[in-house]
Amino acid sequence: MQGKSMETKKRTLRDFTSKPEFSSLLILLVMFALTAILQKNFFEIKSIMRNINAFAPLILVTMGQAVVIISGGIDLSSGTALSLLTCVLTSIMKKNDPITGLYGIIVAFIVALLIGLINGFGIGYLRIPPVISTFATSFIWLGIALFLRPTPGGESVSWFGVFYNFDTLKDISGFFGTLSGFLPPSLLLIIIGCILWYVISKTKTGRYIYAVGGNSESAYESGINTAKTQMVACMINSIFIFLAALFFVGQTGSGDARMGDPLTLRSIAAAVVGGIALSGGRGNVYFALVGALILSFVNKIIFFANIPYAYQTLVGGAIVIVAIAGSQAYISYSTKTKEIKIG
Amino acid sequence: MKAQAHVSTALDSSFFSKYKKLIVAALLIIFLFVLGEIIVSDFLSVGQILLTIKLSSFIALFGLCQMIVIAAGGSGLDLSVGYTATVTAVLTAKLMDGKNENIWIAILVALALGFIIGVLNGFFVSYIKLPPLVVTLAMSQMIQGAINVYTAGKNITGKPSPILQLIAAKTTGFVPNIIFLLILLTIIVMLILNKTRIGILLYGVGANPTAAHLSGVDIKRVRFLSYVVSGILASFIGLLLLGNMGIAFKDMGSNYVMPSIAAAVVGGVSLAGGDGNYLGVVLGAIFLQTLTNLLVALGWGDAGKWTGFGIVLFLLLIVYVSNRRKR
Repeated sequence: MQGKSMETKKRTLRDFTSKPEFSSLLILLVMFALTAILQKNFFEIKSIMRNINAFAPLILVTMGQAVVIISGGIDLSSGTALSLLTCVLTSIMKKNDPITGLYGIIVAFIVALLIGLINGFGIGYLRIPPVISTFATSFIWLGIALFLRPTPGGESVSWFGVFYNFDTLKDISGFFGTLSGFLPPSLLLIIIGCILWYVISKTKTGRYIYAVGGNSESAYESGINTAKTQMVACMINSIFIFLAALFFVGQTGSGDARMGDPLTLRSIAAAVVGGIALSGGRGNVYFALVGALILSFVNKIIFFANIPYAYQTLVGGAIVIVAIAGSQAYISYSTKTKEIKIG
Repeated sequence: MKAQAHVSTALDSSFFSKYKKLIVAALLIIFLFVLGEIIVSDFLSVGQILLTIKLSSFIALFGLCQMIVIAAGGSGLDLSVGYTATVTAVLTAKLMDGKNENIWIAILVALALGFIIGVLNGFFVSYIKLPPLVVTLAMSQMIQGAINVYTAGKNITGKPSPILQLIAAKTTGFVPNIIFLLILLTIIVMLILNKTRIGILLYGVGANPTAAHLSGVDIKRVRFLSYVVSGILASFIGLLLLGNMGIAFKDMGSNYVMPSIAAAVVGGVSLAGGDGNYLGVVLGAIFLQTLTNLLVALGWGDAGKWTGFGIVLFLLLIVYVSNRRKR
């Protein structure tokens, strides 16, 4: 999208500053600076790793959510889908049988794809409004999760901790022990997600996702299978959710049918803060990551600024709406100035 | 494309196609009751039906808020209604303190709160052009935050005034009073939306904003006002909710939000806007409540209840919301 040659460089820079992505980057910088000031040991490796771990689930779920939103949908079931996957993993795994970890991963991956398939079938092929169809499926995932795990708990194989901390593997080789000192596995999961999206965005499917979300009518008329494209978007989303589930089970070693609930709406808010248009077709999946980071930093700032607990939700909500309104105002301002220049 | 579809359904005057969704919803409710009677005995009785309607009345009331903002188009939705109701209930419980003479203050407070929240929602959605889903979501979070601040470190005290309890919780003979209120409200809403200019404006703006704009309607103002009305209604529902429960607590309204949207959709309100019949929303609410009752009566526990709820809702959406274009 952005030209690499020298003569276009200047123009692309100006184009870039007029994009919503630019405003979210600015907000991220401010949040980053504020957090760095407030959190005393912010730049220490340990606390950087801890922050990445704390932010990872929201980042992964938001990136998946962004793909669905760009394709013209929305996923209100991503939180319960995440919960369901943690329940599936912990139901398959047996504590003393290491191989069951592998079975768990395979089955959970298949379940994840099925979740995406069903959501995508509802949105794409049946053309049910995404808000209401994924709301309905969210209850199905919740019900199955509660069936598997009525109360939080379950078993996980010991090596599953590798998705949270490489320290788990230090008996195999000292290398992992060293690795655990500076590389959190959650960062690798995020990178895997980024690579996944990078590969897809370079294929026809990636372009179709934008085309279908932007204008499904004309996409259809130009021969794109819109329903299939939306279904694929939902399945990509569920792979991101699957990655988040691996991290969660690695961290807690248990499954919980209710743990994912708050992530659904947060991921939507984060995607919007990251400049993903809810109307579809516009936005950048990597900037969904930026949006998730902004929301996570907001939480950090509220925590470190010693704001009383009772005020935290209030301030968080206010900052979200200010961030979104700000980026929206920025977009309309920059497009207006462009129009004036043309006129 | 969608707007055209709405216009063509509106022009089609045959009785069945006009009331198709209402009839389907009513038949579904009857089907559920009969099914319940067959599977679980003692399901189909006057008492049970009245109880179901009573339980569904709050979903139906919140459904009115949803219907208004959805009908105005622009992918409208109001996720903040439950929280608006809660904050009203929490604040007015103390003001009323179980006395009838204090109800006027409570009504004024409810009006003011609903108005402020509605104005903020409407302003951000209609004039700043932010997505309704996100605006009302952030608004919900802020209201919840305000409630947390207000109730931090203390119990929520106070009681509703007896008159509210009379309306929302008591029964006349064997009919819960809130059913009378619901019937009255349905008639009023149907009259306003079908016989006055307000209805034409609301549906017109939702169905075909371009045409509405060209005929001189201020679309932004209509959408803005739809959120104001939704906020005020939600606030008053908070008073009724307080009357029904007898006490106020922190999350008394939030559980009604998504069911109210589902009720609107099941009741035939198109999420694209420009459409919606309140009687359908009420039937949608009763359907959802009957379904929940049936699933609870089956005794499958939470897991069975939610799975069943999700599957039935999804199947229902496939049957009559899905919009498979003829290609």
